[in-house]
Amino acid sequence: MQQQPLINCTINGVALQVKAGSTIIEAMYENQQKIAHYCWHPGLSIAGVCRLCMVQIEGNPRLQIACNTVVTEGMKVNNTSDQVVEAAKWGLDFHLINHPLDCPICDQAGECGLQEQYMEFGKYNSEMSEKKQKKHKVVDLGPTVVLDSERCILCSRCVRFTDEVSKTHELGIFNRGDHAEIGTHAGKPLDNKYSLNTVDICPVGALTSKDFRFRQRVWFLKDAETVCNGCSTGCNVKVYFNKEGVFRVKPKRNDAINGHWMCDEGRDVYKFVNKEHRQIKGQKFANGQWTSELHAGAAAKDAAISLKGASGNDVALVVTGQHTVEELDAIVSTFINTYKTKNIYHWWQSDSEANEKAFDGILLRGDKNPNTNGLKQVFAKHGIATKLSSLDPAKVKHLVVVGPENIPVYPEFNAILEKFALAPNLIYMTSAKVDSLVANKSLKSATIIPLKTYIEKSGTFINHAGVSQTFKKVTTVVSEALTVVEAAALLSGEEIKIETLNPKNLFVAANKPADQVTLDFRKKNEFIFQRGKL
Amino acid sequence: MSEVKYLTEFYHLPEFKGLEGYKKNGGYVQLAKALKMQPQAIIDEVKASGLRGRGGAGFPTGMKWGFLPKNDEPRYLLCNADEGEPGTFKDRMMMEKAPHQLVEGMIISAFAISCKKSYIYVRGEYDDSINALEVAIQEAYKAGLLGKNILGSGFDHDMDVYRGAGAYICGEETGMISSLEGLKGQPKLKPPFPAVQGYLKKPTIVNNVETLAAVKYILRDGAAGYRKYGTEKSAGSKLFSLSGNVAKPGNYEVPLGYPLKDMINVLGGGIKNGKKLKAVIPGGSSAPVLTAEEALKATLDYENLAAAGTMLGSGAIIVIDDSKCMVECLANLTHFYHHESCGQCTPCREGTGWADKIVHSILSGKGRLQDIELLVKVADNMKGRTICALSDAAALPIISFVTKFRDEFEYFVREGKSKVKGTAYKGHAYAATASH
Amino acid sequence: MFQLSPQGKEKVLAELKRYESRQSAVLPALYIAQAENKGYISPEVIKELSRVMELPEANINEVCTFYTMYNKEPVGSHHVQVCRTLSCMLNGAKELSEHICSQLGTHLGQKTKDGKFTVTEVECLGSCGTAPMMQIADKYYENLTHESAMNIIRSLK
Repeated sequence: MQQQPLINCTINGVALQVKAGSTIIEAMYENQQKIAHYCWHPGLSIAGVCRLCMVQIEGNPRLQIACNTVVTEGMKVNNTSDQVVEAAKWGLDFHLINHPLDCPICDQAGECGLQEQYMEFGKYNSEMSEKKQKKHKVVDLGPTVVLDSERCILCSRCVRFTDEVSKTHELGIFNRGDHAEIGTHAGKPLDNKYSLNTVDICPVGALTSKDFRFRQRVWFLKDAETVCNGCSTGCNVKVYFNKEGVFRVKPKRNDAINGHWMCDEGRDVYKFVNKEHRQIKGQKFANGQWTSELHAGAAAKDAAISLKGASGNDVALVVTGQHTVEELDAIVSTFINTYKTKNIYHWWQSDSEANEKAFDGILLRGDKNPNTNGLKQVFAKHGIATKLSSLDPAKVKHLVVVGPENIPVYPEFNAILEKFALAPNLIYMTSAKVDSLVANKSLKSATIIPLKTYIEKSGTFINHAGVSQTFKKVTTVVSEALTVVEAAALLSGEEIKIETLNPKNLFVAANKPADQVTLDFRKKNEFIFQRGKL
Repeated sequence: MSEVKYLTEFYHLPEFKGLEGYKKNGGYVQLAKALKMQPQAIIDEVKASGLRGRGGAGFPTGMKWGFLPKNDEPRYLLCNADEGEPGTFKDRMMMEKAPHQLVEGMIISAFAISCKKSYIYVRGEYDDSINALEVAIQEAYKAGLLGKNILGSGFDHDMDVYRGAGAYICGEETGMISSLEGLKGQPKLKPPFPAVQGYLKKPTIVNNVETLAAVKYILRDGAAGYRKYGTEKSAGSKLFSLSGNVAKPGNYEVPLGYPLKDMINVLGGGIKNGKKLKAVIPGGSSAPVLTAEEALKATLDYENLAAAGTMLGSGAIIVIDDSKCMVECLANLTHFYHHESCGQCTPCREGTGWADKIVHSILSGKGRLQDIELLVKVADNMKGRTICALSDAAALPIISFVTKFRDEFEYFVREGKSKVKGTAYKGHAYAATASH
Repeated sequence: MFQLSPQGKEKVLAELKRYESRQSAVLPALYIAQAENKGYISPEVIKELSRVMELPEANINEVCTFYTMYNKEPVGSHHVQVCRTLSCMLNGAKELSEHICSQLGTHLGQKTKDGKFTVTEVECLGSCGTAPMMQIADKYYENLTHESAMNIIRSLK
């Protein structure tokens, strides 16, 4: 690759070298310099309308906007002079004069661009004594997003998103001047597979997610990064959670994988992680009835006892691409080494493989498993090439299944489970509650072992393109649930050791923090987890 | 100095509107001559003539043309006939009385800049102008003056009219380009400038009606001949639209440098109804207002008006007599800019509305003394902070009205009524006219 | 449901080909549709244009709501637009529009009871030297007095 030429410039007194063609705002971001802005977003075209990113360029009497000014050789820029600070203060004031003072009931509070800027440049009493402009409130834009036009600062990010990224063109800015409002046209709602990105990029509380609004204050949430397990793209995401569970998922910038965005489906994936959908305890079925619940580890040990001595064609293992490379390798190795069998099957989401390569041209892929590629590599490593269709559960003595976390994307799930239930001894590992299995009448002997979900463990997914992404544990929801690695160890008859992670092996080599005024400057409030008692 | 009939020489002849009559009076002779010239020679002549844009900004026309990239990329010539600056009505007269004058000027200009397609963007309300131009263009096509191989020169050029739909901002050249593209008339970020990336992202030149019409006269008389009128830096004659409280309002063509006093008292017939002169807005509503005293000293050229702290703008002179309340006049203008802000840039969108509300609050007798200072501060912070100049255009009248007629504003705040009229504001409820 | 007439549709399709880009046809198409929909643009009109022109609704609605010459509400058969900006105001525009409203028994922006007239005040129409003035349909009426304005209005059918 050709080396891009570098340009010398000075920003706020610091001599820098930046890529030729960089704008001032990009240069400042690359070099961790603070600059106020609402309309600029690195994933969208330049609008230059909020007029907040004013900078002073030596030799130019007028302040310029940093987002539309390309750095030239020897340019001297600052955004700290009195003139710039005054302009930023007024820029903020113009944004606030018609903005409602409803922060206490606004979902954006705590991650709001206006609040950030007010604390930085404002802290004054408003001089506006006239009535604020009245606009529409609680506008139902579509199935996912609600608009409060009075809070909107008309930065046009959401409109540019639907024009440039989703290319669905549902949003527009109607009317002009201070009557202008974001909206959709009657009968054409904001309804696309990427709609919630508009909420992420809204710098204020104008666009809120129907799923998240009013459910949690953002300062009561912690966030951590992981890889989405919604499909084989493997978008990098931030998961927001607290002790009650996970509340939302947002994209995390990674130019090599997902850019700035993620799909709406991926945002729903958190739901099966929360307790109400989870298999909390181990369960055993014997002699025609389910016995009382038992600890996950105990269930796994019981299962190991039932497997004792099994070998070769007595045993079969079924796995899905919803688990990590480490987990798949551990369980496959266990069966090859302990149970001397290569009766190991890949359970893909559907009978038809036509969808595996489907892609919507943006992020969404037809393969709803984050690690199909990882699974295939593990299989290849161990020389396994069997088809699930060739498995007859009734013909083996023991069938061990590592079931999917995200059941809704497995359309034939129940039908396949019916077949598995014919096995004389079924050991089913799952993070999700599987009511249909519990209710199944043809079961002979079965054990259900609760598993951890993707946010509760560290590991690696290999995406559709073969990019291997290692992530670390976000949080724990069901503490006694096992990872497949732990389950594999127990099934092999071993005791398990709890491993601690090397923090250097953490997340993907992702890019620098994305733009988001909101999140990056927000100090994570740890107090709710660490505060003392009175 | 006196009124001249240079561009307007034949405007009194109804026949000048049609192709026949236009040709009879020297029409399309310059086009035939131009098509035999080197394009660069035309550009050089325009540069030498000192012609400056007649739309408002006064940018040297030849220099603007010179910004076009030197390559074969398709390029567009757009005529800005979105005459919207309050007080201005000269382009309308030119299009209605002499559409061929514009068409000829445009073909010559297009030839000079090697452009094959031009549009005349006319404000939607100007029905007569649009009709006149459409007829003229058809006539020109029939006569082989437009289309393929014009007058056997090998030069092809197509021309069309585009009707605006009611938005002051489309007079801003990039707003006009957006509108011509079938979008909201919102000005575009610069850079890139239109000469590099304009209409459909292609190199584009936008010139005012009067500017393009003048090109033919520069060819006819040469740069030196064109400079017979005007001053060194403000060359040529210009049409001024005189309106307000004068006895004889109308369009007057005078050499640049003509005394404003004479414009009002000689050509305009003085102040109507025996009233006295109080104030003059010399260059369209965006130009800072002059007091009577300042106005009587001013001459109508770019430099003198700039020195007087105002501008020549579009050449629209609005005369205000001493029976008018300056608070009410400013309220009229703040309402205008509030209504016309495109809403894209925050300082303009919010500032025009805020300023309008403050002025109307003073007008309704609810003003506070600090509002007068606040008004100036708001205006100051709207200036130079936006994509286009509408924000400045809104701010300049505010600052000049409040500074020069401060006593009227203070009186209104203190007494709750107009110093001039002695009455409180009587008029439509603010909200009734603000919605659109 | 609004539908363009066959002739209207043909005109819109011609406009789509007339300019260098299809999008440029939006302004003329809105005029064509407005003339066919009793002088205003309703949401159905936009839907129809979006269908015929194959352009997003939001996009057309943005344009429609940006410009003042597209009426977003039904107007009377005669839309009386009185210029209100400075030169006209200095020559009695406000008094003129008040006079017209009181004579027609209506308020600004409201249709008269018989549905014949809507009076609105509009910003500068570029007829400042002949103030006060008004525009009805495409025509300018200039140098008005209260009497001449009412004579013109009463002469409209």
